[in-house]
Amino acid sequence: MMRGLRRVAALFFVGVLTVGAHSASAAELKIGFVYPSPVGDVGWAHELDNGRKAIEAAFGDRVETVVAENIPEGPDASRIMNQMASTGAKMIMLGSFGYMNDGLKLAKKRPDMTFIHASGYKLADNFGNFQTRNYESAYLAGIGAGFVTKSNILGIVAAYPIPEVVGIINAFTMGAQLVNQGVSVKVVWLNSWFDPSKAQESARSLVSQKADVLLSLYQDTPSVVTVAEEMGVYVVPTSSDMKKYAPNHLLVSQQIDWGPHFVEMVKNTLDGNFKGIPYWGGMKEGAVRMESWTPNLSADQMSVINEKTAELKAGAFHPFTGPIVDQAGATKLADGEVIEDGALLGINWLVKGVETKLPD
Amino acid sequence: MSRLRVEPRVTESVIAQYLVPVVAIVLTLLSGTVLFTFLGKAPSAVLYTFLIEPLTSRFGIGEVLLKMAPLLLIAQGLAIGFRARVWNIGAEGQLIIGGIFASVIAIHYNESESTWILPAMVFAGMLGGIFWASIAAYLRVRFNANEILVTFMLSSVALQILYFLVTGPLRDPDGFNFPQSVVFADSALFGVLIEGTRANTSLLIGLTLSVLAYVFIRHSLPGFKLSVSGAAPRAARYAGFAESQAIWLGLIIGGAAAGLAGVGEVAGPIGQLQRTISPGYGFAGIIVAFLGGLHPIGICLAAFFMAILYVGGDMALISVGIPNAATTIFQGMLLIFYLASYLFVHYRISFQGRAAAT
Repeated sequence: MMRGLRRVAALFFVGVLTVGAHSASAAELKIGFVYPSPVGDVGWAHELDNGRKAIEAAFGDRVETVVAENIPEGPDASRIMNQMASTGAKMIMLGSFGYMNDGLKLAKKRPDMTFIHASGYKLADNFGNFQTRNYESAYLAGIGAGFVTKSNILGIVAAYPIPEVVGIINAFTMGAQLVNQGVSVKVVWLNSWFDPSKAQESARSLVSQKADVLLSLYQDTPSVVTVAEEMGVYVVPTSSDMKKYAPNHLLVSQQIDWGPHFVEMVKNTLDGNFKGIPYWGGMKEGAVRMESWTPNLSADQMSVINEKTAELKAGAFHPFTGPIVDQAGATKLADGEVIEDGALLGINWLVKGVETKLPD
Repeated sequence: MSRLRVEPRVTESVIAQYLVPVVAIVLTLLSGTVLFTFLGKAPSAVLYTFLIEPLTSRFGIGEVLLKMAPLLLIAQGLAIGFRARVWNIGAEGQLIIGGIFASVIAIHYNESESTWILPAMVFAGMLGGIFWASIAAYLRVRFNANEILVTFMLSSVALQILYFLVTGPLRDPDGFNFPQSVVFADSALFGVLIEGTRANTSLLIGLTLSVLAYVFIRHSLPGFKLSVSGAAPRAARYAGFAESQAIWLGLIIGGAAAGLAGVGEVAGPIGQLQRTISPGYGFAGIIVAFLGGLHPIGICLAAFFMAILYVGGDMALISVGIPNAATTIFQGMLLIFYLASYLFVHYRISFQGRAAAT
């Protein structure tokens, strides 16, 4: 009873706090943020919101931010953006690929505004996009998974079969294969960024199919992580460090950090020299990093991981370096060939070792 | 000892019938006031943004009309079934299938500029909705399967079919695997109703249907039969009105209207097929139907009011800073208060004083 009450009270508080104070401030720049899911304690929207906090920390009173969280991708998102624009926002951060077409329409109508959009592919002078090279961190996590798995079956609870997610699945698999040739990977497509109960169910079914390392791929909830802790299998979350949800069974977390990029884009907007660029930040730029490696890996195993981490940070190694063979056995990259960014941005094939097919 | 007793009325209270929606709305606004005070917002400011601000600008009015179109269509269709006690609560699924059927035409003839594309989509969407609702009608008539459960569960099935199609067969081949179709050509889109807004001509379909619904209920034999089946099922059976006919008709009309709403969305503000084509219009339509007293004119007013709540909720989200769950809570309260108040149409509370006790 008390817990329930406290939760309600907390919800009210979150409501009051996240939406930010509304005042007729004299800020130079009003920035709108649209998130596809609730901000919560961890996950995608939470990290986007940390980016917003970084902006506030960097620019203080010069900026004012307004947040709309849990906005479905559809006609309503367009109204939210338009409403932000008509109430004085001069910059908008769109936190999901489904906002792309509506955002671009508004951007064309309002050349005086700037937009940054998560993980899309369309651009305009005042409409840039951003994503992480999360496949780099996934590759490292995969190495860890290859070391710790006993069943040689890895399970992935994945959001949507979009290129970004497909790339991460491939990198995770190839990382595991680097140290363990026998692994096979099973994927459950959730078709949602945020569906705690379905994520939990999928995690359980993967474990019952003998998966003993789970990758929670862009699930905006710690559901998969808590299931892993409960069922005693290792887990790798994306976006946020989720150590507190799986103190014993967290293999490692793939932490995103939007702060530096957001701050730069706001600075460009303030300085009047914003350009709609595609930003793709990896380990090198500090946009992704590994957090909370499990202490259960041996020193030898950690040294393999550390070596690859250093290479990635130095830009000396690309996880998509041939030879790479797809599920059907066709050679996708010849020996020594490195994938081009363009091909990786549109990747729609899975590497050999992934059992589940792409839906088509 | 005096005590309260709830007892059935001999005849339905006509005054109560008209008062119910008003009371429900007033109670909702009062609870809203409490809720917003709790959130630390000035209730007057929030209620102003919620209820008045949408109507103060061309943009706002356009958005309200845009929202009203699907709600109106769905509610008019459902109400006809509800009057006959055919409980189709799966308009969401019928909307999705209608949207899919229409999209198939738009995607297949994406290069065409023919003026027949849109009418064909409207027709296909209607067929899609009918098809989906017919499954429930068949199962009910043939196997006596509860249509509440079947229509509701078929909504989930429809959503999965949509996911399958946008991640596969109907996906934009040049869209980097993003789960959405190509953007429709102009020939596959409804025209703009008010210049400078997103309100489109699909609203006219809803208004036409409202007139038809009125005529159907008041002046047609099948409409009369449906109403009798709902009000007095036994009498209907004695009069030789087949129950199965009411079920088929109720579901088909509801499905057709929901399918049309689906066309209005994909060929309207969305302009392509994607994973979310409805933010729950199929369910909100149920509230609209009841709030409108299952009467065609009442439903027009209720759809307009609900649309204001939706748009006002989004505006309040940005300009006053309330969480977006507030809209859903508002709608939920509205339905609950409506249902609670509706009790007094058929029942009344009587005070039993000492005199009665002795």
